[in-house]
Amino acid sequence: MMARKKTSDVVLTAIWGDNPVFRQILGICSALAVTNLVLNTMVMGAAVIFTTALSGLTVSLLRKHTPRIIRMMVEVLIVAFYVILFDQALKAYWPEMSRNLGPYVGLIITNCIIMGRAEAFANANPPGLSFIDGLASGIGYSIVLVSVAIVRELLGMGSLLGVAMPFFSSSLWDRWIIMVMPPGAFFTLAVIVWFARTAQKDREAEKKQGAK
Amino acid sequence: MSLRDRAWFPVSYMFVLTLVLSTILIIFGTATRKRVEENETLAFERAVLEALSIELGAASAPGQIHRIYLSDIRAADETSASALMYIKGDSLHGYALPLEGPGFWAPIKGVIGIAPDRVTITGIAFYEQNETPGLGGEITRPSFRTQFAGKRITDAGRPLEIRSPSEPLDESSVHAITGATQTSIRLEKFMNERLAGWRDAMEAVR
Repeated sequence: MMARKKTSDVVLTAIWGDNPVFRQILGICSALAVTNLVLNTMVMGAAVIFTTALSGLTVSLLRKHTPRIIRMMVEVLIVAFYVILFDQALKAYWPEMSRNLGPYVGLIITNCIIMGRAEAFANANPPGLSFIDGLASGIGYSIVLVSVAIVRELLGMGSLLGVAMPFFSSSLWDRWIIMVMPPGAFFTLAVIVWFARTAQKDREAEKKQGAK
Repeated sequence: MSLRDRAWFPVSYMFVLTLVLSTILIIFGTATRKRVEENETLAFERAVLEALSIELGAASAPGQIHRIYLSDIRAADETSASALMYIKGDSLHGYALPLEGPGFWAPIKGVIGIAPDRVTITGIAFYEQNETPGLGGEITRPSFRTQFAGKRITDAGRPLEIRSPSEPLDESSVHAITGATQTSIRLEKFMNERLAGWRDAMEAVR
């Protein structure tokens, strides 16, 4: 049995060392679909944080009672429960945003990050730590998505959070329509993954040097 | 043999868990259903008022919109050929024709406003669409919509035209959105079918 994990390690691993998007390449479909406006992306990120944190907590609370053979069904059920809750709340209290995000909130149910955390972490760790792991994984996902969205909205529309930016919104800047379209996300995400992995590689190399 | 090892345990476990979670969702859904429906009605009412260029001013609070809608908008009858009517005092101030058709991703629903002369457009508004944000989604922005006000429906053929931004305009055409060709083509198609149908129907009423 592995030693009890430290909270700070769990958080750091989820956000940087083992970031769901650029390390594990999970949750890419929504990363491509809803990242052309920063505001939409932030709400999407909030939905994922809400779901990963609370489903991690719930799966962990039930872990000792859940029969092994049906555990994945139980996990999907719990994840779906939180996603529907969020979607319904959005429909009732922020209808414009609900319309903007369309089907993507509902599709969080199939987001591999959430099932991944439930299977890999919440199943084997205490509730409090699972909640934090879910929270941090959600944040790790959101940071990458918001970074993609900042690049896309700025280059594609010349604005950030709907506010026109100097230079980019002027006639000097020829807006990149491709950034608004789905391919823009492919390029942006690839560049971000490249930078993040290069940075990680350097750190790993330093660590190895230090160990010798 | 403990409880957990029995064959029926997983089935009952799943059943109970589903029951508990579904119950919570149903309660929450019921509690918010009225609000969700109100939001949908309000989005439609707002679109009708915007299409008719009714000045909402600073008083665009939900309650205000609903009140104006109730007092000034009449349901369609045989003299308006399925268009809602804007009646203030005793006189007709305009028609609001609901539009609906396929967009690039999902159906687009909107309203087009027409002056009492049955020819001049007063405005257009959309209350449901799922076009690409920043491209097709721009149809909801004033920069696209304000072009329609003052345009005239032609006597025959295509009532209105959505042209490429490089082409010159006349009194029955507007510019499309750059990068949203598909949205523009589809919008033009179903909008014109609806307007042409209405034009003919109103001809018969006259």
